[in-house]
Amino acid sequence: MNASTFATMPTFVALKMRSLAMLTLGVCIATWHFPTTLHAEDWYRWRGPDLNGISTETHWQSEWPSGTMPIAWTIDVGTGFSSVVVQDDRAYTLGHVDDHSVVYCVDVNDGHLIWKHAYPAPLDARDFEGGPTTTPTIDGDRVYVLSRAGELFCFDAGSGEVRWQKQIADAAEVRVPGWGFAAAPLVVGDKLVLTLGESGAVVNKHDGELIWASPDRECGYASPVPIPNTKTIVFPSGRSFTGVDLETGQPQWSLRWLTSFGCNAAEPIIHDGKMFLCSGYNRGAALFKLTDGEPELIWKNKNMLNQLHGSLLHDGHLYGIDGDMESGARLTCLNWETGDVVWSEDDLKPGGLSLADGKLILLTEAGELVFAAATPAGFSEISRAKVLDGKCWTVPVLSSGRVFCRSIQGQVACVDLRD
Amino acid sequence: MSLDRRAFIASTVAASTLAAAPKIHAASKDKKYRTALIGSGWWGMNILREAMAAGQTKVVALCDVDQDKLELAAEEVNDLSGEEPKLYSDFRELFEKEEVEIAIIATPDHWHALNTLAAIEAGAHIFIEKPTGHTIGESQAILKASRAADRIVQVGLHRRIGPHHVSGMKFLKDGGAGDIGLVRMFVHSRGGAETPTKNSAPPETLNWDMYCGPAPLRPYNRKIHPGGFRQYLDFANGTLGDWGVHWLDQMLWWCDQQSPKSVHSTGGRPVRGEAVLNEDVQTTDAPDSQIATYQFDDFTAIWEHRQFGGAGPEKSTVGCNFYGSKGTFHMGWRDGWTFYPDDARKPVVHEDHQLQEPDGHNLKLLWADFLQAIESGRHPTADIEIGHQATTLSLLGMLSLKLGRSVRWDGDAQRIIGDDEANGLLKRKYRAPWTYPEIG
Repeated sequence: MNASTFATMPTFVALKMRSLAMLTLGVCIATWHFPTTLHAEDWYRWRGPDLNGISTETHWQSEWPSGTMPIAWTIDVGTGFSSVVVQDDRAYTLGHVDDHSVVYCVDVNDGHLIWKHAYPAPLDARDFEGGPTTTPTIDGDRVYVLSRAGELFCFDAGSGEVRWQKQIADAAEVRVPGWGFAAAPLVVGDKLVLTLGESGAVVNKHDGELIWASPDRECGYASPVPIPNTKTIVFPSGRSFTGVDLETGQPQWSLRWLTSFGCNAAEPIIHDGKMFLCSGYNRGAALFKLTDGEPELIWKNKNMLNQLHGSLLHDGHLYGIDGDMESGARLTCLNWETGDVVWSEDDLKPGGLSLADGKLILLTEAGELVFAAATPAGFSEISRAKVLDGKCWTVPVLSSGRVFCRSIQGQVACVDLRD
Repeated sequence: MSLDRRAFIASTVAASTLAAAPKIHAASKDKKYRTALIGSGWWGMNILREAMAAGQTKVVALCDVDQDKLELAAEEVNDLSGEEPKLYSDFRELFEKEEVEIAIIATPDHWHALNTLAAIEAGAHIFIEKPTGHTIGESQAILKASRAADRIVQVGLHRRIGPHHVSGMKFLKDGGAGDIGLVRMFVHSRGGAETPTKNSAPPETLNWDMYCGPAPLRPYNRKIHPGGFRQYLDFANGTLGDWGVHWLDQMLWWCDQQSPKSVHSTGGRPVRGEAVLNEDVQTTDAPDSQIATYQFDDFTAIWEHRQFGGAGPEKSTVGCNFYGSKGTFHMGWRDGWTFYPDDARKPVVHEDHQLQEPDGHNLKLLWADFLQAIESGRHPTADIEIGHQATTLSLLGMLSLKLGRSVRWDGDAQRIIGDDEANGLLKRKYRAPWTYPEIG
């Protein structure tokens, strides 16, 4: 078969043939088609190494005949919304089983359990299925987990041994927010930065000792986001986003950001001296210019309502899940500079979204994994396959050529995309 | 209410309407009504947005007991119009300080009567969200007071004016389904057992005492506010007192506002479980399933809801079926209306919905009708009397459920026949310092 013959074939047939060839001839053919090796990346924290939800991995396989993505393994971790983090061929996540939250460490090659740690926690279903909502954070040989009730754990990444644990909501003298703590801890140097109280809290990552805490108000559900090249961290509360000096805990500015349910769950996106804020529950989105003082509003609208997950900024465009998941959300592309809707795809029922190598990695609510070009030209699907049963609202994660998908009911599927 | 002021307002409106209706209509497009919104949450803001979009609204004041809702609403009003409404957490203070021509009432049901009566006293026309009362006596008080003061009251029964409802009703009234002998109104959803939710301190931005108002003061629970009051009988009347009012109204529209002779209802919480309310935790307490039967002179109407089981084998989970001698007519929501002839050889007749998204309602039409009613002095399409009757039927269903027996209803006297205990339930005891409205 020469290139010109291949090019004239209908796409589906071409895809199918390539798949067949790979299945029968294996790695040789794959290498022939994809001479470049996979650039692998540990996805060691929520929203990834660059804290933008975008993986730098390239040359992973995104094209499959309809319905046939290779699922390497599946495991059941219990009810919850925790995403997956990966380092050194190990994947970590949480789920709820029998009145406990369980932290799992599994081998990414076959999903076999390396260690797990259970701590007592009610399911606490409040307008949702319940279970843990936070994602672990890996830092070197340690894994940090913040429970919905405010128990902070430091595990040995290798053995699962608890290095230390602390009831940090009590230590910081702040209340647990309505749906429980949900933000992933952020490691900055020797500090562990937490969404806690009105504008965050910081503990020593080596022993859990509280360094500073903000006043007792309902915190938000998004993770802390640093402003690059500054000491400022942006924290969500139920009613605001506040820029805080990491060293002193002193607020530098605060933007009122009200929603109908006191729920700020999407991380700010900070880029090029600007900051994008977005929430669901009748709030919407805005772009601010970061200054020495109060951020200045550039635009504000309701074109994007990020209820659960932050949008992704790629090549001057924002891609995000717009709307209330219960009543039917959309995949929407916004212009970063103007906030205008570039396109919106109503029928996708998106549950979680990430991005790598110019492609959207979308997990639909019904458990279909969809790859599409991340382009302002419109929604352009590359391939899709059903990978999970149950309801999926958790962000799919790409690491070392595998996509980790998770349902609310607790099924985790590892889709092997290595060529 | 000051009688002088009421008389003055009534005579002014009547005189100007009679003397120069066409001129007023011509001039009215420039008229901006000084408007206040009481209850500035999700649905209240949906109404206010339509009011603003219609171009004859100046938003002078917003009122809510939740500071967050208030500030959110104020920001949106400012974004949409540049206006900076005054903000109040107490409706009494609002009506004392502001000159209000139109009041929108979108608080939880247990506040509707006191809010509306204060608005009438202040001389405002009113757009009130259904139901018109939490008890039948409250609704009666609103009806009488608004008539006495000659105020226009439009009830949020947007299904009275939605295009597919209008065309479907014409089909029915033209005899398309033949003689109707039975009407079945229903709303079904999914659901399961309910586990109690912990009580907590109210959010610092919420005046919980004022939220409860004339209702008993119970511990705050985040399942109630924001957004959950409808399933708590202190504040609302469950699914029959919510959805039921819309579909009962469709039935009343078709039968030209007849009154039922008797009402009987059964139901409970077989799936959600027994209601819980203590210092630590609580559940909702509205029935998760209920059937109410309304016996009219020459037909029977049945309300049925359940919050479990989902759609099952049924074609639709929401709507109103009219069973007639020529077939079955389904008045739906997002499924439009459909007539299924009993003669299988005849074609099914269907009309798609025409709804205003994203909420799938027709507030725009209802607001326009409200403005026209104010300008012309005519009764609006979903006039208070219409809203009152649909509300009354829903509350009679709740009353029969509580009593565990059927009640006979005298629609003319607005009384239950021969049952003192049942008549006692037309009112409720208010928590001090609030006093139950006099019917006058």
